[in-house]
Amino acid sequence: MADRVILTIGTRKGVFVAESAKPRRSFALRGPFGPGVPVYSTLIDTRATPRLYASSCNPFFGMKVLRSTNMGKSFTETKSAPAFPKEDGRALANIWSFEAGGGKKELWCGVEPAALFKSDDGGDSWEMVSAISNHKHARKWQPGAGGLCMHTIIRDGNRVHLGISTGGHYLSEDGGETFRASNQGVGAGFAPDPYPEFGQCVHKIARHDDAPGRLYMQNHGGWADWTGPGGPRPDIGVLRSDDHGRSWRSIAKGLPSDFGFPIVVHPNDADTVYVMPLEAATRSCPGGAPAVWRSENGGNSWSRLARGLPKKQSYFTILRDAMDIDRLKTPALYFGTTTGQLWIGREGGEQWDCLFDSLPPIHNVKVAVV
Amino acid sequence: MGPTPTITIHVPGALRAYCAGAAQLSISANTVGAALRDLERNQSALYRNICDETGTVRRHLNVFVNSDNVRDLGGIDTPLMPGDLVTILPAVSGG
Repeated sequence: MADRVILTIGTRKGVFVAESAKPRRSFALRGPFGPGVPVYSTLIDTRATPRLYASSCNPFFGMKVLRSTNMGKSFTETKSAPAFPKEDGRALANIWSFEAGGGKKELWCGVEPAALFKSDDGGDSWEMVSAISNHKHARKWQPGAGGLCMHTIIRDGNRVHLGISTGGHYLSEDGGETFRASNQGVGAGFAPDPYPEFGQCVHKIARHDDAPGRLYMQNHGGWADWTGPGGPRPDIGVLRSDDHGRSWRSIAKGLPSDFGFPIVVHPNDADTVYVMPLEAATRSCPGGAPAVWRSENGGNSWSRLARGLPKKQSYFTILRDAMDIDRLKTPALYFGTTTGQLWIGREGGEQWDCLFDSLPPIHNVKVAVV
Repeated sequence: MGPTPTITIHVPGALRAYCAGAAQLSISANTVGAALRDLERNQSALYRNICDETGTVRRHLNVFVNSDNVRDLGGIDTPLMPGDLVTILPAVSGG
């Protein structure tokens, strides 16, 4: 079968799947699956026969994991969802992230309250990863506006990077056996100490296979005008690490706002990175004019990409997992809005078109070429 | 103490897939909590939809004994009498 571009779109009312041929001229939409139930995380697992996963976060009946083995034509519940041991005292409130693991059917899953689970059988059974879930800091982490969530899991050989809001960045260098807070240079605006050991409100982390040690982070910015204890904290929102996340430095200069949620790296160029700056106070597009900003030199400078996007009166939010980029030679970006629009940025974001304009509020967008 | 009363649990439509399609379950239990523990033992998939890992009834569910919310009775310690109908319903909320 010719290559297909598959999008999973997690929304407040279920998960949708959109499919297109490689030119990506138009997408056919299927769904919603798990109708009426919020979906905060999806995964397109391309390690073998493609499998799609979606969290189904039912406020009435609890968390489920949905799985599709037919490219999103139907979904069924896995045999179980992550759950804390009964004696733990915590109860699962949401599922925020899925990541493919090392084995063919190994999955990792980040949840709220912040904890990590692993499955060795494609999501039918789950075990809590104690090293981070029972870390000595775990009971001191605080929920951000979205809840106390483990939203980012990045595997890089034996290294595992976790993003927790609000907990910060945690790093394992032994495959997840142990974790340590690794936040040197990651600022926090809501604590007297501007650079605490942990407790930062990290929004998203991204990396690229071709740049060992390089990581990009969208942190909770918007603190340039802070006048309280510790003083102003400008430019703490967009960061870069070149030493596997042991230390971080700001790359926010040149952006209209250092606040935002997603951060995405170009699949073929580790120096090209995309963010979606938002006004910190409203979590919406500056001046009502949305734009993706791109750096082609690792964050040294930024340019605005807005051709085709609304020029005014657009006050949507793009949430932390609602932007992704495909891996074709000339990749397209995709983002979903809290107003239910799904946009495609063709030619690496040079030209934007709205693919769907009336979906439910969008939490999550993932893309893969299968 | 008399024999354990037999009561009926009414299963909402959204949860029947977790108990082989049954709309009602007949069980023996002295209290609402004992009824939930019976579900945990014998209908574990259904139980996980009603109670979280700590054993607490999920926040947005209401449990009624006949027409009374157990919140206004004795909570999960509410005693059950023979023939009682225990109904589990999602709270009216959301948008």
